[in-house]
Amino acid sequence: MQDFLDSLIAQGYFSGVPTGLVYAVGMIVFAAIVLLVFILNVAGGTTFVERRVWARIQSRVGPNRVGPQGILQWLVDGIKLLMKEDLIPAAADRILFSLAPYIVMMGFVAAFVVLPFGSHLIIADMSVGILYLTAVTSLVVVGILMAGWASNNKWSLIGGIRSAAQIVSYEIPAGLSIFPIVLMTGTLSMQGIIRAQGWAPWNWFVFSTPFTFIAFFIFFTSALAEGNRTPFDLPEADSELVAGFVTEYSGVRYLIFFMAEWGNLYVIGAVVTTLFLGGWQIPPVTDNVVLRAILEFLTFFIKSYFWVLVAMWVRATLPRTRVDQLMSVCWKYLVPFAFINMLGTALWVVLFPNGDGVVHYFMFAIGVAIIVHFFRRVLFHLRRARIRERNELLLSPLS
Amino acid sequence: MSLAGFEVEVQRTGATGLETEEMTLNMGPQHPSTHGVLRFVVKADGEVMREAIPDVGYLHRSIEKISEKVGYHGFMPYTDRVDYVAAMFCNQGWGMVCEKLAGIEVPKRGEYCRVIAAEFNRISSHLLSVGTMILDIGATTPFFHAFREREIINDLLEELCGARLTYNYMRIGGVAWDLPPGFIERSIEFLDNFEPMLAEFNDLITYNTIYLARVANVAAISPELAINYNLVGPNLRASGVKYDVRRDEPYSVYPELEFDIPVGRGEVGTLGDCFDRYIVRIHEMTESIRILRQCFKQMPDGPVIAKVPRKFKPPAGDAYIRVESARGDMGWYAVSDGSEFPYRCKVRTGSFSAMSIIDRVSPGLMLADLVAVIASMDIVAPEVDR
Amino acid sequence: MNRQSYLGGIVDVCKTVLDGMAVTFSHFVRKPSTVQYPDRMPVRVQDTLPFRYRGILEVDLEICTGCLACERACPIDCIVIDATKDKAAGGMVMTRFDIDMAKCMYCGLCSEPCPTGAIHHTPEFEGADFSLESLIRRFVKDPVVAYKPKKKGEDDPRLLEMLDRGLRYVGEFADPDRPSADGAPAGAKEDAA
Repeated sequence: MQDFLDSLIAQGYFSGVPTGLVYAVGMIVFAAIVLLVFILNVAGGTTFVERRVWARIQSRVGPNRVGPQGILQWLVDGIKLLMKEDLIPAAADRILFSLAPYIVMMGFVAAFVVLPFGSHLIIADMSVGILYLTAVTSLVVVGILMAGWASNNKWSLIGGIRSAAQIVSYEIPAGLSIFPIVLMTGTLSMQGIIRAQGWAPWNWFVFSTPFTFIAFFIFFTSALAEGNRTPFDLPEADSELVAGFVTEYSGVRYLIFFMAEWGNLYVIGAVVTTLFLGGWQIPPVTDNVVLRAILEFLTFFIKSYFWVLVAMWVRATLPRTRVDQLMSVCWKYLVPFAFINMLGTALWVVLFPNGDGVVHYFMFAIGVAIIVHFFRRVLFHLRRARIRERNELLLSPLS
Repeated sequence: MSLAGFEVEVQRTGATGLETEEMTLNMGPQHPSTHGVLRFVVKADGEVMREAIPDVGYLHRSIEKISEKVGYHGFMPYTDRVDYVAAMFCNQGWGMVCEKLAGIEVPKRGEYCRVIAAEFNRISSHLLSVGTMILDIGATTPFFHAFREREIINDLLEELCGARLTYNYMRIGGVAWDLPPGFIERSIEFLDNFEPMLAEFNDLITYNTIYLARVANVAAISPELAINYNLVGPNLRASGVKYDVRRDEPYSVYPELEFDIPVGRGEVGTLGDCFDRYIVRIHEMTESIRILRQCFKQMPDGPVIAKVPRKFKPPAGDAYIRVESARGDMGWYAVSDGSEFPYRCKVRTGSFSAMSIIDRVSPGLMLADLVAVIASMDIVAPEVDR
Repeated sequence: MNRQSYLGGIVDVCKTVLDGMAVTFSHFVRKPSTVQYPDRMPVRVQDTLPFRYRGILEVDLEICTGCLACERACPIDCIVIDATKDKAAGGMVMTRFDIDMAKCMYCGLCSEPCPTGAIHHTPEFEGADFSLESLIRRFVKDPVVAYKPKKKGEDDPRLLEMLDRGLRYVGEFADPDRPSADGAPAGAKEDAA
């Protein structure tokens, strides 16, 4: 990004303007474009995709009337929320109540600054990229606590406190699972981590050692918990606490909270892809810069969005854990294993400083075996329900 | 326990000398997970509850009083509304109590029609109960799968009597309609497709570790406690007491049918916990399928309704009968004074007793568990308040 | 917590979660069971409903005998009939036959005692309207003489059609004197195989 602005200055576009100002304005404009064009559409579109995916899993169709295949449903929902009355409960703390959604949104939007969409498509390739990301995503805790307290509603308060406890606790296994990767690459920068991997699946970090394989699952679980997703969605448990910390919110503020949640899903997917799945790496098929950029962006987007779909799938399948069980999962299971991973990777890096040639093929074979076993179970369930004979197979997601 | 004093917040000194306050929460009449309009005043210390006081009466419709105005025949559609989730049992109860008052005998085929309708309704009521319990625990998918199967049962019962929820199928002396053509084939096809669906249900959620962690060992009710608090039906059987009105005080054609009574065994966690109440309902669905298959094989020919005069005037007296409804032993009591209108009608429902035990088991549970307990007791508001 | 249950718990979680996800994935590739009412359906819903469906009440006034059995049977008193015996006109003359569909609970008790099946339920259920008064169905426009069933059978084809349908509807109801209802699957014995 900075090189692009430098080349523009060299070509004489901003002659009288101090370079600091050019950088600042350029960054803001670029960030605004990313926010409006990419983030809002992805977050909004994810609400629609979630509803369709959920519906198919539940034997239903989902919204399919507004626009072709219902694609405009999320826009229409957004407009409806915008037109709602601006309600603030009489006894609520006005300033905190109004501010809370924006802090939550800020926590998640700021993460997009370091997401690597391509080898040169990143807003700011900081040398402490991944650390910055974990720091910034913790800001949502402040927003959620504010929302819970300022609502002047006991149910919201319970939801807010549960959520704060949950997010803060799950930061630890998430952070600890990043360490193996950092140990293996020696850098915190996102682009550096991706460049240390290869384009082929067996060169991805998830398969390189058994420790990173387990770290992958620990990280994904912790990230789901940080994003308030089932099975850890107690703060918004809609059968227990009406709507948790967002009970008193309506209209735009509600919209912002939920944009933040669904957008956060994308951030989780992007981070998982960067750290464990090779990011934007593509096989060397072409030398054309533009084509490479497009392919890299598509690869990254598809890989991240796959994890968004997996998160939706998990949400549709699993029930909610209780608060004390959630805490015990974190502290008694995830944290010890995260520590073991960290130590194990440190040992690994000392023993095999140049990597060892065989283990990652072996781990890749295990991964493939798990996927094959999974599809065999799917076929078993389909056969038991006699789907083929009843002509009830429908592979297309459209309807 | 009166509700008058609940506004006062109780101050408590904790072990470390910190003063903590209890929160009084209102799990109000409008709440996504109280099954119907029920209200609980919950006093909670953070997440852990101290008391959960039930407040009933939001769905009271004076159905028992209405019977005194509409007469014996006209009351049949109102009995559907006493428990609209399992309406056939209520129909059967009222039919049986009027038949007992007047000494009418229902023809054999009529009894078989009643049992078929009742067992279908038992399956559909259990599907609803199990589905909403799982929904309250957090898994949203099995709810829809359960309701998809329930819709097919509703289609079958719609063919049979014309309505999907408030059936008004039975009459005093038998049933109003015989089985339509093709009903048995379609029912058997449904039963054949339903059994693998139940197995799939079990794979998806019943033995899921997270689900078991939520329901096992929660609110374990010992057999003595269950009997003392007058629990009935699946709630009682889950605590290990093998009591089923169909077996112990048989009525209709149940003596001719072979079926087991599933009882909770504490296989995951303690005897009488929420999981036992859940799994007993799943097993009962399997038993209902067995009963239905036998009924379809064994049904004799003949009329389905006895001759009952239009102006039904049973001799003065009273009668009490029990029916094994989906929610347990449902008792119907009618007092006749010799005229066309009953003098008094009273319904005893299982959900009303189940409400009383919630206050007994909730101290020490967390808020999330309260939801699980209410759902596992299969409390439906119309039964509680009538 | 001993080591067995700790590791066993982890294995359990992995197994059950994976199996649960396999079940949900298998549902994803199945046809949804939604009926996309009202516009994306091959046939109108009302035509797919069974014959016994208890929808909105309809009265074929031409074959109504004015016996008032339906008014007496209704538990909610939503049927109001004004009928007077008029020797000059030759029988009962009905000046009012109102059914208040807002009160009706679709129980079917009125259609059971009807001798000709004039009052019957239709498969129509879309009756929502904006005012409560519009829900009162008034079937009598001008005072009409009640129908007298002819001993030798009906000869008017229009009335015959209505009578046939009505009697078929009433015939579905169980009769204590009929040994086995028509159309009942010829005794379950045949399906026992």
